[in-house]
Amino acid sequence: MAARKPYLGLIVSGLISGALYLALYLFHHEIMAAFTRTDGWYPALPVITAFAFSFTHGAFTGYFWEVLGITARHRG
Amino acid sequence: MLEPVAVNFIDLTTANVLSLFVIGFVGGLVSGFIGSGGAFVLTPAMMSMGVAGVVAVASNMCHKFPKALVGAYKRYRFGHVDIKLGLVMAATASVGVWVGADIQQHVKFNYGEAGSNLYVSLSFVIVLAIVGSYVLRDAIRIYRTGDTHAEDRTSRLAAWVQSVEIPGTMIHFKTANVRVSVLFTIPLGLATGMLAATIAVGGFIGVPGMMYVLGAPALVASATELVTAFVMGLGGSIKYALHGLIDIRLTLILLAGSLFGIQLGAIGTTFVKPYLIKVVMAAIMLIVAVSRALMVPVYLTELGKLGLAPDTLAVLKHASFALLVLALCTGGIIISGAMLHGHRRIKPTLKDQPQAATE
Repeated sequence: MAARKPYLGLIVSGLISGALYLALYLFHHEIMAAFTRTDGWYPALPVITAFAFSFTHGAFTGYFWEVLGITARHRG
Repeated sequence: MLEPVAVNFIDLTTANVLSLFVIGFVGGLVSGFIGSGGAFVLTPAMMSMGVAGVVAVASNMCHKFPKALVGAYKRYRFGHVDIKLGLVMAATASVGVWVGADIQQHVKFNYGEAGSNLYVSLSFVIVLAIVGSYVLRDAIRIYRTGDTHAEDRTSRLAAWVQSVEIPGTMIHFKTANVRVSVLFTIPLGLATGMLAATIAVGGFIGVPGMMYVLGAPALVASATELVTAFVMGLGGSIKYALHGLIDIRLTLILLAGSLFGIQLGAIGTTFVKPYLIKVVMAAIMLIVAVSRALMVPVYLTELGKLGLAPDTLAVLKHASFALLVLALCTGGIIISGAMLHGHRRIKPTLKDQPQAATE
């Protein structure tokens, strides 16, 4: 029997990931100005952002393939 | 506070965004499958869009570590990752990155930009030709014996390495199922880091090294490399961020595509015969070696050692870039084809034995 597909997870993570990318598009001038500063804690911004996107967008892409039915054949 | 480096950040067009997304996707697919290998095409691709070399390297690096993290997590769930081995390799690889970057700077200082490019290209050609041929020979041997479903056979070198007992240095790597002296991981880690600093793809030494020197299975080696790549990528990204060199837009657009790719590549490893990882790796390595070999006369001309016509140089540059793209696409096509084939092969079995899918 096929397991229930994670539609809710896909929608929630998709919305968060989409919102983050939309924010990047809308505020790219401000983001680029802040993210290339080298004083204080500003250098941490690109690294933290990359982590944040990897969690939200990573979750979304994981659900995406699962909902399409492309899942691992076996787990070790 | 570190001085910001004066660089221009480009305006992105829709075409640029789409190309980065697609290249990111295919690069991610290859990385999820063989542990690394998507990065070599991204830096030249970004540079051809007008991104400054150092920004291309920095933005590529900052997209690699989150991608490796997602890939490592996924493959950890499949039981492929040996975290201890990945971290032990990462410890010396970090030193290797530092040494590699130092050598790189020394070459650049003494021989200029063209000298540095020549050094990078020659490193590519020598390492990829030697290691790629070895991996290909092994893959062909497995194919000829017809035993493509078999677990990896331990190489003679790995058997010797495993037999050496050095008291106080022995470590058991559980998932890789090997017990070796930690001293053997030091040159491997160093070489992986130095290669990563030089050509941005340390996995071309790390993965074959874990397979043929330590005796780890191909599946475990390719997955464990993602842990090493994560640690190295994080360290490198912090370094570039401190100089304000990361174009976060490029990083996040690459991530948008590569996180789709890396998940698919990781899933792909559960569908295919283990030897296919070696086939993909060898194919990519050898095509990239040819691509970089074509650039050697270009840099020699820039250094004044050869006198090629501008038209010839342009042809060589285009052919070299086309081959890089071809290498990545070849990897992508082999992986997709193998997944489709594996999926079709499993389907009839699933009808007969529904529980086989969840074993």
